[in-house]
Amino acid sequence: MSFRLGHSDLIILLLAIATMLILSRIVAELGKRLKLPVVMGELLVGIVLGPTVLGTMFPEAFAFLFPLQSNEKVAYALDGIFSLSVIMLLFVAGMEVELPLVLRQGKAAISTGFGSMIIPFFTGFAVAWFAPDIFGILDTGNNKWIFSLFLGTALSISALPVIARILMDMNIFKTRIGMIIIAAAMFNDLVGWLIFSVILSLSGNGGDHGHVGYTIGYVIAFGAFMLFIGRILINRALPWIQTKLSWPGGVLAMSLGLCLLCAAFTESIGIHAILGAFIAGIAIGDSVHLREQAREIIHQFVTNFFAPLFFVSIGLKVNFIENFDVSIVLIVLVLAYIGKVAGAGLGGIAGGLKRNDALAVGFGLNARGAMEIILGTLAYNAGIIGKPVFVALVVMALVTSLTSAPLMRMFIKDTPELK
Amino acid sequence: MDYTKLKNRASWPFETIGVAIAFSPRLESILCEARILSERFNANLVLMHVGDRTRNKEHKLSELLVKAGIKESSVRIIWSEGEAVQTLLHLCKLNIVDLLVMGAMKKENVLQYYLGTVARKISRKAKCSVLLLTEPNKEGSKFRKLVVNIAESPKTSHTLNTAIYFARHNKSREIVAVSEMHQPGLAMTIAEDVTAGEAARIRKEIREGAHSMLNDLLEGCKEECNIEIVEKQITGKPGYAIRAFAAQKKADLLVINSPDVKYGIIDRIFTHGMEYILEDLPSNLLIVHSRVNTAE
Repeated sequence: MSFRLGHSDLIILLLAIATMLILSRIVAELGKRLKLPVVMGELLVGIVLGPTVLGTMFPEAFAFLFPLQSNEKVAYALDGIFSLSVIMLLFVAGMEVELPLVLRQGKAAISTGFGSMIIPFFTGFAVAWFAPDIFGILDTGNNKWIFSLFLGTALSISALPVIARILMDMNIFKTRIGMIIIAAAMFNDLVGWLIFSVILSLSGNGGDHGHVGYTIGYVIAFGAFMLFIGRILINRALPWIQTKLSWPGGVLAMSLGLCLLCAAFTESIGIHAILGAFIAGIAIGDSVHLREQAREIIHQFVTNFFAPLFFVSIGLKVNFIENFDVSIVLIVLVLAYIGKVAGAGLGGIAGGLKRNDALAVGFGLNARGAMEIILGTLAYNAGIIGKPVFVALVVMALVTSLTSAPLMRMFIKDTPELK
Repeated sequence: MDYTKLKNRASWPFETIGVAIAFSPRLESILCEARILSERFNANLVLMHVGDRTRNKEHKLSELLVKAGIKESSVRIIWSEGEAVQTLLHLCKLNIVDLLVMGAMKKENVLQYYLGTVARKISRKAKCSVLLLTEPNKEGSKFRKLVVNIAESPKTSHTLNTAIYFARHNKSREIVAVSEMHQPGLAMTIAEDVTAGEAARIRKEIREGAHSMLNDLLEGCKEECNIEIVEKQITGKPGYAIRAFAAQKKADLLVINSPDVKYGIIDRIFTHGMEYILEDLPSNLLIVHSRVNTAE
């Protein structure tokens, strides 16, 4: 059997990619007029093109354009593109994590960061542990253990890009509250993705305890190497790359190449590729020598090519109407709001914020956006969660992102310097 | 000990200048610099040495004071023992020192940098303003061109006033007020769903925000200024960007706020803010301690 894409396979693949890119951009632009996040438009296109709408109304057209079941070669090619997309998305997410910013913001940011991780994590973990049947999880083997860890992590993550946009729109980005929210969101992302990569690797091998230790050890060793030694080496190499190699081609090729190398390495040692990409992003993004223009080009490339493909692909895999379970959606929403607002709020108060400011920080950090959807997709692909929980997470990500700004406004309207 | 005199004490004028004495080859130059600065600011001089008080050291100091043109009777000389950094910080508080003058290497080796030398440690912790002189000389350093970091902090108005005061007394020619434009997440946000026009508007708003902040600061300046103040906006990581700018501009003095948080070894590993400057001093450095604690 030949593994090359045939003439017709290539045409279908190109048509599928073009359809996803063009339609998602059109819908995203329309959504922008209604102040809806881009990711919402991309998801909507996926739902329309996927089994939910096209697959139900015009099954032949769906099977022709996205032959995920009937044409192995196209399915593999698309899967490869979607995997590359999520790796790239985590890479750019890592590029925006600035560990020094967390340190610079001091006690308030650190306690908010901790609070907004720990309370949502334990809220999610406890509910999943004591009532796994609500989510359709069987209380056997390591299922319950891994699902509980996952739900805790899913509830504790934040979405830096959405939060940054909200703060900019509200003109409070550079205020103390704004910087605390950003620093805490970075902290949430860093810890959340580290924990999630451990969970993913556990789900792949049944999670025997001997391996848990190795996995955590690998994660720590790789993270420490990249953040201490790798970061210094990258910082030394970047000026040379940016001045001696062609611009911006040199820095783009080297950065993306390093991202893929790190992703390949972490995948090969049994941790998911996303961790390598995420940590590579932090190490490269932290360099003082990375020019702002290079950073923007990388973001543009990933956000406008890989992100739409990835988010549209979500709708292609799951029927959102069939798998919409009201009770699961409501439980996930309630847990998300209570855990994040209480955690960040209490953390903020412990860090010296006033009650209203702390609540504003809590609602700010509650926006889950694209990060939650990526996390849910990876968990669904790994078999950690079923379709109803996945749909609930997507809904939660959208609802929390949409409600974050108005809820924040309610609590900061009395703070004159933030008006 | 009465610390009430220190509380809310303005960062300028410099009424008392402290000098940290180490018996190094550069001591004579440091003493000359201190004498010249005390004359320019009409300030009292306090010389502080932490270490054994021996006849040899006393003799050596007397000799150097004569060479530096300082009358021994006109200065206070304090000999103290203990851990150098803590003792010096304590002596500065006790003597209500407004400006502590020290010599500092432009760049330290890796080990020294991570472990921290006395000058660097004091820069991070001092409760008074600190002047680090990278190349002290017997004729006195020239402070023709000053670069002042205009950070978004309540401390900055004190820093700007102090810089103008410093410039006036040192006959400086130019003050460059530099705002570091750094907005984490901006690249990601702009890439996501912003048109070219919106991106330009966002950038313009950021620049205008920095410009109006500087204008407000200048309008609120209490210190009379007849020196040209040039506004400059630069992009890059805070601390690193202004370090590179000061080096490129061949500034004679870089003026910055004192740190808002306590700096430790972790801040040197994940370098940020003032640590970028201490890592490789681009010029002489004045860290203005305004006695306003923004971390609280």
